[in-house]
Amino acid sequence: MISLKGASKQYTKHSVGIENVNLHVDAGEFVSVVGQSGTGKTTLVKLLIAEEKPTSGVVEIGGWDISRISQQDIPLLRRQIGVIFQDFKLLEKKTVEENVAFALQVAGESPRRIRDVVPRVLDIVGLGHKVERYPNQLSGGEQQRVAIARALVHRPKILVADEPTGNLDAINTHEIMEILKKINDFGTTIMLVTHNREIVNQLRKRVITLHGGKIVVDEEQGKYQL
Amino acid sequence: MSLSFMTVLILVLMLLSVNTLIIVQALTEEAVQNVKEQIDVSVYFQNDVTEEEILEVRSYVDSFPEVTEVTYIETDEVLAQFRETHKENPDILASLDELGENPLGPTMIIKTREPGEYENIITALGVPEYEHIIEAKTFADTEKAIDKIGIITKQVEQAVLVLSILFTVIAFFVIFNTIRVAIYTQRIEIGIKKLVGATNWFVRGPYIVESILFSLFSMVFAGVIIWFAIQFLDPYIAVILDSQQFLTNYFRSNILVLVGSQFFAVLALTIITSGLAMRRYLRV
Repeated sequence: MISLKGASKQYTKHSVGIENVNLHVDAGEFVSVVGQSGTGKTTLVKLLIAEEKPTSGVVEIGGWDISRISQQDIPLLRRQIGVIFQDFKLLEKKTVEENVAFALQVAGESPRRIRDVVPRVLDIVGLGHKVERYPNQLSGGEQQRVAIARALVHRPKILVADEPTGNLDAINTHEIMEILKKINDFGTTIMLVTHNREIVNQLRKRVITLHGGKIVVDEEQGKYQL
Repeated sequence: MSLSFMTVLILVLMLLSVNTLIIVQALTEEAVQNVKEQIDVSVYFQNDVTEEEILEVRSYVDSFPEVTEVTYIETDEVLAQFRETHKENPDILASLDELGENPLGPTMIIKTREPGEYENIITALGVPEYEHIIEAKTFADTEKAIDKIGIITKQVEQAVLVLSILFTVIAFFVIFNTIRVAIYTQRIEIGIKKLVGATNWFVRGPYIVESILFSLFSMVFAGVIIWFAIQFLDPYIAVILDSQQFLTNYFRSNILVLVGSQFFAVLALTIITSGLAMRRYLRV
C-alpha cells in the first residue's frame, strides 16, 4: 500500500528531509510516525501526496510511483488519498457543505452524486446539522472533522493525517482519534504523523520513530519513545 | 477578486489612453489630408497659347501615374476669378479696365497623390518645348509647406508610436502587479484546491472567467466615456476640419476593428498576466 525503498529527500546541501528510508505499510494498517520537529515527518507527508519528489530512491503509494509521477497525474493521486492537516486547510469562503463538495467537484462528479454523498459523509463525522456554517463559525475540532469528511468523500484506501490534533484540546483530540480509529476499522490504511505522546501510547498500534531523517525505531504495538 | 475594482479601473485608463492616441492619429491624418488637398500646382500659360498646345500639355501631364486630377480654366474664367479675388481693391480693377483686354492666360491646376510628387511634375514641365507657352508655375511657393507637412506628419506618427508602446508597457506592468497582488491574497486558497486534487485548469478556470468579465466591463466603461468625449469634441472638430461628426463617423466605420482588437488585446493581457502571476502558486 505504502512503500519507501532507499528514499531520500535533500532540499539543499545541508538540509536533509529524509535519508535512505525503507518502509512498508500494508493495507488496513494504522501507523503512527513520531519524532521531534525537523526530523522529516512533514517531508514524508509531502512525498506521499507528491508535493515533493524524492531526490533518490522510490516512494510508492496506492500503486503510484511518486518519483516518476507526471504533473497531470498528481491531481488523480490526490483524489485517491485522503489527507488532513494540522491547520485544517479549509476554504474560508465556502460553507461546510461546499468545502466537502469541492473535493468531488474537482474530480468531475455529477451534482446528483455530490448531493447524495456529501450529507452522508458529514453525518459520519457528526456535522450533519452544521452544513451551512463557514469554517470560522466552527470550533477547531469541528473544522478538523470537516477536513476528515472532505478526505473521505472519495472513499480513499489511504488516509494521511499530518498532526491532525496539533491545534486541538484534549476533548477534541479524543474525538478526532475516535473518528480515525473508526475509519481504520472500515479498512482504510491510516498513516498518522504526530508528536502527541498520549494518543500514540493509547493507540497500541505500529509506531515508526524518525530521527535526523532516518527511521530509528519501527515497532508493532509500539510506544512513543524519544 | 478583492482588487477587481482596481483592475477594471486600470484597464479603463489604459483603453482611454489607447483611444486618445487613436483619435490624435485620426485627426492628424484628416488634417494632413485636408492640407494636401489644398496644395496643387498651378500652371499659367502665355496669353497667346493655342488650344492644341494646351491639350498637348494636358495629355502629357495626364500620362503621369501620380497625377490624380487636372483642371483647365479658360481665360474668361481666370479673369472672372481674378476680379472676384480683388473685388475689394478698386485700383487693381481699374488697371484691368484700363488695359481694355484680358491680360491673363489660361491656367491648368494639377493635383497629385502625394505632395512629394509635385516636384516630378514641375521637372517634367520644365522641358524646352514648353518653355515658350508656360509663363509660370506656382509650385515653388508651396514647396516649403509640403516639406513641413511631411516632417510634421512623420514626427506625429513617431510620437504616437512611441506613446503607444510606452502605454502598453506601463499597462502591462500595472495590470500584472494588480493581478499579482490579487492572486497573492488567494495563494492559500489556490494551494488548498491543488491539495484536494484540483487540476491547474480547474484552478485557473475562475480567473479566466474573471479576465473575460474584466475585459467586458472595462470595454463598456471605456466605450461610454469615449462616446461622451467624441460627442463633446465633434462640434469643435467640425469648425477646424470642415467635417461634420468626424470622430463619430470614424468610430462608427471602424467599430468592429477597434472593439474587436482592443477586447482581444485586453483579454490576452489579463489572461497572460494572471497566468504568470498564478504560476508559482500552482506548483503545489
